[in-house]
Amino acid sequence: MSIRRVVLAWLLGALAPSLAWADNPLIVEAALDREVAAPLLDAFEAAYPHIQLTFRDRSTLEVDARIADTNDPPDVVISSAMPWQMARVNEGYARRLDSSAAREWPAWAKWRNEVFGFTFEPIVMAYRLDLARHMLPPTTHADLHTLLTQQRGTLRDKVTTYSPVRSGIGYTLFQQDARYTTRFWDLVAAMGAADANLEANTRSMLEGLSEGRYWLGYNLLGSYAMHWAQSHPEVFVQVPQDYSLVMMRMAFIHRDAPHPAAARAFLDFLLGREGQRVIAGETPLFSVRSDVVGPYTAQRLRDQVGERLYPIPLNASLLAFVDPSRRAAFMDRWQREFRRLSHPAPAPSAAATEPRIDKRAQR
Amino acid sequence: MRLLVIEDDPLIARSLEQALTPLGNTVDVFTHHAQAREALQSGQFDLVLLDLGLPDGNGLTLLAELRQRGDTTPVLILTARDGIDARVEGLDLGADDYLAKPFSLAELEARVRALLRRSQQRADNRLTFGPLAFDAASGVATLNETVLDLPRRELRLLESLLLHAGSITPRETLENRLFGFGDVGSNALEVYISRLRKRLDGSGLRIRTFRGMGYRLEEAAS
Amino acid sequence: MIQVEGSLKARLAVWLVVTVSALGVLLLVEAYFSSQRAAERAYDSQLEAAALTIAEAVQWEAGQPVVEIPSAALQILATRHQERVFYAVLDADGQAISGNLNMAIPREWQRQVTLQPTWFSETHRGTPWRLHGRELDSAGWETQDPVQIWVGHTMSGRDALAEALFEQAVTRFVIMVLVAGILMLLAMRVALAPMRRLRHQLRQRDADDMRPLDTRVPEEMREMAETLDSLFTRQRESRDALLRFTADASHQLKTPLAGLQATSELALQSEHPETWRQALADVHDSAGRTSRLAGQLLSLARLRHAEEEGTATRLDAVSLLRETAFDWAQRDAAQGHDIGLAALPESPQYICGEDWALRELLGNLIDNALRYTPPGSVITLGAVRHAQTLEWYIEDDGPGVSAEVMARLHRPFERGGRQDTEGSGLGLAIVDSIVRRHAARMQVESAEKGGLRVRLLFPCLTRHEEG
Repeated sequence: MSIRRVVLAWLLGALAPSLAWADNPLIVEAALDREVAAPLLDAFEAAYPHIQLTFRDRSTLEVDARIADTNDPPDVVISSAMPWQMARVNEGYARRLDSSAAREWPAWAKWRNEVFGFTFEPIVMAYRLDLARHMLPPTTHADLHTLLTQQRGTLRDKVTTYSPVRSGIGYTLFQQDARYTTRFWDLVAAMGAADANLEANTRSMLEGLSEGRYWLGYNLLGSYAMHWAQSHPEVFVQVPQDYSLVMMRMAFIHRDAPHPAAARAFLDFLLGREGQRVIAGETPLFSVRSDVVGPYTAQRLRDQVGERLYPIPLNASLLAFVDPSRRAAFMDRWQREFRRLSHPAPAPSAAATEPRIDKRAQR
Repeated sequence: MRLLVIEDDPLIARSLEQALTPLGNTVDVFTHHAQAREALQSGQFDLVLLDLGLPDGNGLTLLAELRQRGDTTPVLILTARDGIDARVEGLDLGADDYLAKPFSLAELEARVRALLRRSQQRADNRLTFGPLAFDAASGVATLNETVLDLPRRELRLLESLLLHAGSITPRETLENRLFGFGDVGSNALEVYISRLRKRLDGSGLRIRTFRGMGYRLEEAAS
Repeated sequence: MIQVEGSLKARLAVWLVVTVSALGVLLLVEAYFSSQRAAERAYDSQLEAAALTIAEAVQWEAGQPVVEIPSAALQILATRHQERVFYAVLDADGQAISGNLNMAIPREWQRQVTLQPTWFSETHRGTPWRLHGRELDSAGWETQDPVQIWVGHTMSGRDALAEALFEQAVTRFVIMVLVAGILMLLAMRVALAPMRRLRHQLRQRDADDMRPLDTRVPEEMREMAETLDSLFTRQRESRDALLRFTADASHQLKTPLAGLQATSELALQSEHPETWRQALADVHDSAGRTSRLAGQLLSLARLRHAEEEGTATRLDAVSLLRETAFDWAQRDAAQGHDIGLAALPESPQYICGEDWALRELLGNLIDNALRYTPPGSVITLGAVRHAQTLEWYIEDDGPGVSAEVMARLHRPFERGGRQDTEGSGLGLAIVDSIVRRHAARMQVESAEKGGLRVRLLFPCLTRHEEG
């Protein structure tokens, strides 16, 4: 325990006993692996020992639902489901953060000074060592398409990716992919032809890779994949060389936060130099700040991959992704394309492999 | 009598000295205020003839100083300024009479005599004019040292005329003195005047009538 | 007496400030509303663009309108200011085909929008919004129902733009005021230059320089310059008059003095005491006359002096007459005459006048009477009260004057038709001046006993004025 902290504690105790910082709870609802985020949370608790942090790791769907729970609103909301976070902010659930850290945050990673993208997570391909023994591992989207087309037999049932239906992140990533090129649909068709397995999260994909069920994964969260690869040498992570999407985890203070001061402290910590330093050094979440040094920084990633990083823009265009009719149209097309090569006969609604999920669940 | 003349014009100063000395006076002449102020502080004078425009100061200041000291010596102001304001201011400050230049020596002598007589009377309570005298204390009038046996009204008339001797005694003053404020006939006063005239016949004095104004006891020669 | 009362610059500045302030308030109010309008127009057109972009994406599939909301439309809606955005696509029944916020569009608005695209301002959950609705006539194979597209956003961008525009307007206005102020100061300097020039010229002038001004002045100062010129002219005339009067006076005084000199010179040359005596008597008489002349000249000068005006007070004409009569009756000059008073009014009679002037007036008349009548003549003074006037009169039983002379008598420098008697002829001129100064009338007529009677009629003070 440093002397500074003792002095600070003494000062707080002497000067502001009525503030009752010690009893100050903070509830964070997050779609963020506790395991991955642990160093960050530890650092926060060390910096603010008087704040009792309750960190609830949930799925993006659950987090989204908790936002609208007016009876028991959380203080801080963190989610990687960017369009849904954006929609909630647009509905007015966020509280504006006026702090120097918020003001200095890069404009492309925040919206209205209400929601902040505080990580910089590349979307990657991952493959198992077995793949490399049989063929040259893909380095670009075009490589992947070629591989899927030429080695369809070998790769059948060995390919995995997100289910756009069951995963908000997956849906977002595919939407974004589709915006860049229509050849994306050829890739979807190729994956469909290879009977690709659709998973709900990156962890399942990584587990499948480690177990040997899958050889190749597409559109995995780089943060988790890199973390996994460190302890699972059979799994290799490939940042696509043509373009790589970048996902940002978005955090905001809830409009009705019961402990706004603690929530501000938490967000300032996330955006501040200290929090970002922990992100860059001890988590694979990648720091957004350019003045932070560590193995996991956006800057370092750019140096490695070049300018082919395409962060999903943090602006109103994300709202289009959650538009019900747009989403329905996208899903229809997805199903059509996914079956195009394996089942040449068109099946309009075709809920055989992928059950249609009701609108509430899509969120 | 000792007279002090404060006058800077040498011609006038010499004339004053020559005119007043034969009347039995000692005349001291000064041409500057500073000298005059010293003389006034040291010596006793019976009359001061003061010229207002002197080269080293205003005569009114000197007069004011004199009166502030409680000195009651009679002062006759001589000046070329004949504005009414200067006259009023001088009299207000305690001057006893005022004579505007140019003046005739005869008039000056008359004024001087009157002033001296007035101060003399204040001193010994006797009214005199030429051979005529009236002792206010005993009520006895004398002509050439001879007691005049006069009735009461004639005596009062004589006293009043003596009081203003040399100048006009207004007839209203005389009537009031003789008859009180009662209504009297217009000729009543004239009767007493003519009786008094007869008594003064040949004495060198006479009573002159000023029509509509009053009477003046004067020397027959003038 | 010159009292400095502010400065022209300050006056102009006050007017400028007042005018500019009033104008400024108007301009700023106008600027405020116009910047609000400009911001509204700019952002309303973005709403329209977003609505049109969405309209582009509406299609019919199997008799149902389908819309795939374009991301661009939402970015247009959000604007640079990252507004919160709202959109809704309604079918002909008002049912939402698509939309993002549960913002209900009132039926009334929907009806308005069927006629023409319309903009609305609305407060939704405490936040002000600007909404835009337009109807799209779209044709499908089965149906031709119209679709309504509604878009909206929050207003922080509008407010920021309006504020920025307003700030610009204010800045421009402030700069304009400063520049106008500086120009005004310069203009004042330029405009006041003729005044400075005139001041300089006046300061350079010699004290006795009474020539007309020789300068260029603008129209506004012409009157002042002319007034100054006329003042100089009057001063010049007055100075000339003074010089003439001094010359006259000195001439008048020189004549008797020359007589004195000649007489005394002759007497000094003579050996006979009898001649001396005669000369001395002449010198005495002449000195008296000269003194009197000097006094009269002084009176005339005083009478002509403008500043002596206005010292008039309320006076008792009866006691004034009595005092003057007493005074003159006792003088040496009067001893050869019988001066008397007629019966006077018992109560004081008030007139308005100057004490010294009225004494001078009576003195001159008495003096004249003494001079122009033989010794022993009877001179009587009196006062009579008439209805509106108070009359002083002075009459004698002397020889009087002829009717012809009588007519000319009241003119100055007339000596009653005689050149033999001593006198300057100034006496009646003085009398005339004083009579005119007191707004009185003078009448000269033959007395009953053959002599001359001069009547002076003064306006009486009314009882009100007396009080």
